[in-house]
Amino acid sequence: MSNATSRRNLICAAGAALIATAFGTTSFAQQTGPIKIGLLVPLTGPLAAPGIDMVDGFKLYWDQVGNMAGERKVEYVIADTTCNPDQAITQARRLVHQEKVHIMIGPLCGHEGPAVAQVSKETGVPLVMDTAGADSVTKWDRTPTVVRTAVSASQIGHPFGDYLYKELGARNVTFIGQDYTWGHEVTLGMVQTFKELGGKVAKIIWNPIGTKDYGATVASIAPGSDAVVAVVVGADRIRLFEAWFSFGMDKRFKMYGGYWMHQDALPQMDDRAIGMIGNSLHYAAGLDTPANKAFVDAFAKKHRRLPSWFSESAYTASLWTRTAIEQIKGNVEDRAAFLKAMRTSTVQAPRGTLKLDDYDNPIQNVYVTRIQKINHPAVGAVLTNVPIKTYENVSQFWTWKPEEFLKRGPYKR
Amino acid sequence: MKVRSYGVVMALIAIAAALAAPLVADPFWMTLITQIYIYGLLALSVDLLLGHAGLYSLCQASFFAVAAYTTAILQVRYGYPTIVAAPAGLIAGTLLAVLYGSAVRTRGVYFILITIALGYIIWGAVYRWASFTGGDNGITNVPPPSVAGFSIASQTAYYYFVLTVVILCAFGYRILIRSPFGLSLRGIKGSESRMQSLGYRTTMHLYAAFVISGLIASLAGVLYVYYNRFINPVAASFQISVEVSLMAIVGGSGTIVGPFIGAGVFLGLRNWVSSFFELHTAVMGAVFIATVLWAPSGIVGLVERWRPGIGKPKDQP
Repeated sequence: MSNATSRRNLICAAGAALIATAFGTTSFAQQTGPIKIGLLVPLTGPLAAPGIDMVDGFKLYWDQVGNMAGERKVEYVIADTTCNPDQAITQARRLVHQEKVHIMIGPLCGHEGPAVAQVSKETGVPLVMDTAGADSVTKWDRTPTVVRTAVSASQIGHPFGDYLYKELGARNVTFIGQDYTWGHEVTLGMVQTFKELGGKVAKIIWNPIGTKDYGATVASIAPGSDAVVAVVVGADRIRLFEAWFSFGMDKRFKMYGGYWMHQDALPQMDDRAIGMIGNSLHYAAGLDTPANKAFVDAFAKKHRRLPSWFSESAYTASLWTRTAIEQIKGNVEDRAAFLKAMRTSTVQAPRGTLKLDDYDNPIQNVYVTRIQKINHPAVGAVLTNVPIKTYENVSQFWTWKPEEFLKRGPYKR
Repeated sequence: MKVRSYGVVMALIAIAAALAAPLVADPFWMTLITQIYIYGLLALSVDLLLGHAGLYSLCQASFFAVAAYTTAILQVRYGYPTIVAAPAGLIAGTLLAVLYGSAVRTRGVYFILITIALGYIIWGAVYRWASFTGGDNGITNVPPPSVAGFSIASQTAYYYFVLTVVILCAFGYRILIRSPFGLSLRGIKGSESRMQSLGYRTTMHLYAAFVISGLIASLAGVLYVYYNRFINPVAASFQISVEVSLMAIVGGSGTIVGPFIGAGVFLGLRNWVSSFFELHTAVMGAVFIATVLWAPSGIVGLVERWRPGIGKPKDQP
């Protein structure tokens, strides 16, 4: 008797569950549930440190807004991509299929970008592309469900070529570039604008990521160079810094950082960096605006260090995503509306005012910075990048027409 | 006889479980299992040389990547259909093995070194020849395979396709290693000079094994590119060659199921454990150390210790 009842109950329950799945209107069921966001970053591997910077920036933002967007709760899942495209693809598929995220943010490594965009394309889940900066993603190889909130590589290179010629007065320059896509695009972006103004490239020295010894590099700088420009990433930034001074090159050449002394690397450098030009970048922790001050103070208070551009990037990607979610009143199930809101909204980020161009890349300021030692109340004496020149509202196409740029093709060594 | 029927029963259970997997597993697990089959096939190609011929090849990723790149480039850049692109990938990878097979003139540590160097040539080429291979960004948007208007677009369909290929390969492989040819490979592994004195042209045997291994790796490469719809120089990297060797060793070298089990452990740890444990690489390290210390013949060897005769050719001691 009791057995029969329990079986009947079970059948009833199963039937009810089936009916609920079949008829439960998606809008009702999902509108009330939380919004799930997947963050794809490397937490292990060669770029783990910037990856953790991104996680910290990301969490800081969602903490500040109480994990709410469009009157819905926001839950996030962080997936470790290990800076390997294979792993990035599998993890992106995990976020979509298993975690059922509504939106993906990330990844970090340039070559992971196209891989994750592929998953966005096949599943339709919007991807807010963060620090991965491959030019092609917003130029030749665009995906309708992908928008970029950080930067494309050559976007920060073009202004520096201009600065190098006009403000620094360099005419014959040796470039030290990192030998992979991001390095090529940043370096050759600089070379392009510098040469168009009439500058001469004495030499370009390419080093693979993870070059152990920069002695050979600094020794092969072309003798007549009136400036040397560095585009380096990861631990190579520190190795170049050490080699530069220990070989006494600082007495023979003028060295400028095109993409070099980022905030996450500065603690491993020292006071010899003071006064050098550190970067040409869309963000600098020393930027003197109320929005940035608030961000830097909050970050420094929590983590006892200043934010790098990776932190700001993940913070702003979250801010932008939330702005769009608010605009569509939390209805992230409507992917087209979400993407439209991302594409049309203007965001007041720590790094300045941002808006997407017609090719889904932000139009933003680029700051040429000098390294200075400042006293931050939460961190104490600390080296940081302070802007000395601002290029306002820089497009990824610089001053060229988009069609002209697209026709010219990608920067390749 | 009893042992043999036990093995057959186990194989049937495994195949039945694999066939039923899409009914219970969610899409993420299906992609992961598909990936495990593909990497298991690549690990199997390593193990033909490692477990049977006693050669430690570290350029398997080259055949894998060349096959995958050829298929991807033909499909995406030149718009050739699968019926052309997939066989072309297989042929390109195998031709590379025919060329690289000259490495079998060396033995031991020299063989390892030369295969590392050969592997780096392919990695360097796909990385640097950006106008043709897409460089770091790789090649995206590889379409799902379709032959004569019949497209394998859904994940489940592709899963069954990969499963079929893997089962057929496993049977072919079984026939191969149980043939006189397989026996002579193990003879060379045991004592090459004795095989030579018995009149075997050992280098030709090893060369043939190397080319067959390259063919299996190429097949894995073609399956991979249609699975991932994306290829990038990491696929040709030294890291992949090492990882698949580890898969074969952890699973059980010299067996057929071993490399697949190893691939399952390896990819499972990396993709699943990483979702809830940040130090997943440390877990992986611990597994390798434990394998080396307590299970030198891999997970299959561990199972065999209490149930002899699984997945092991009979002529082995």
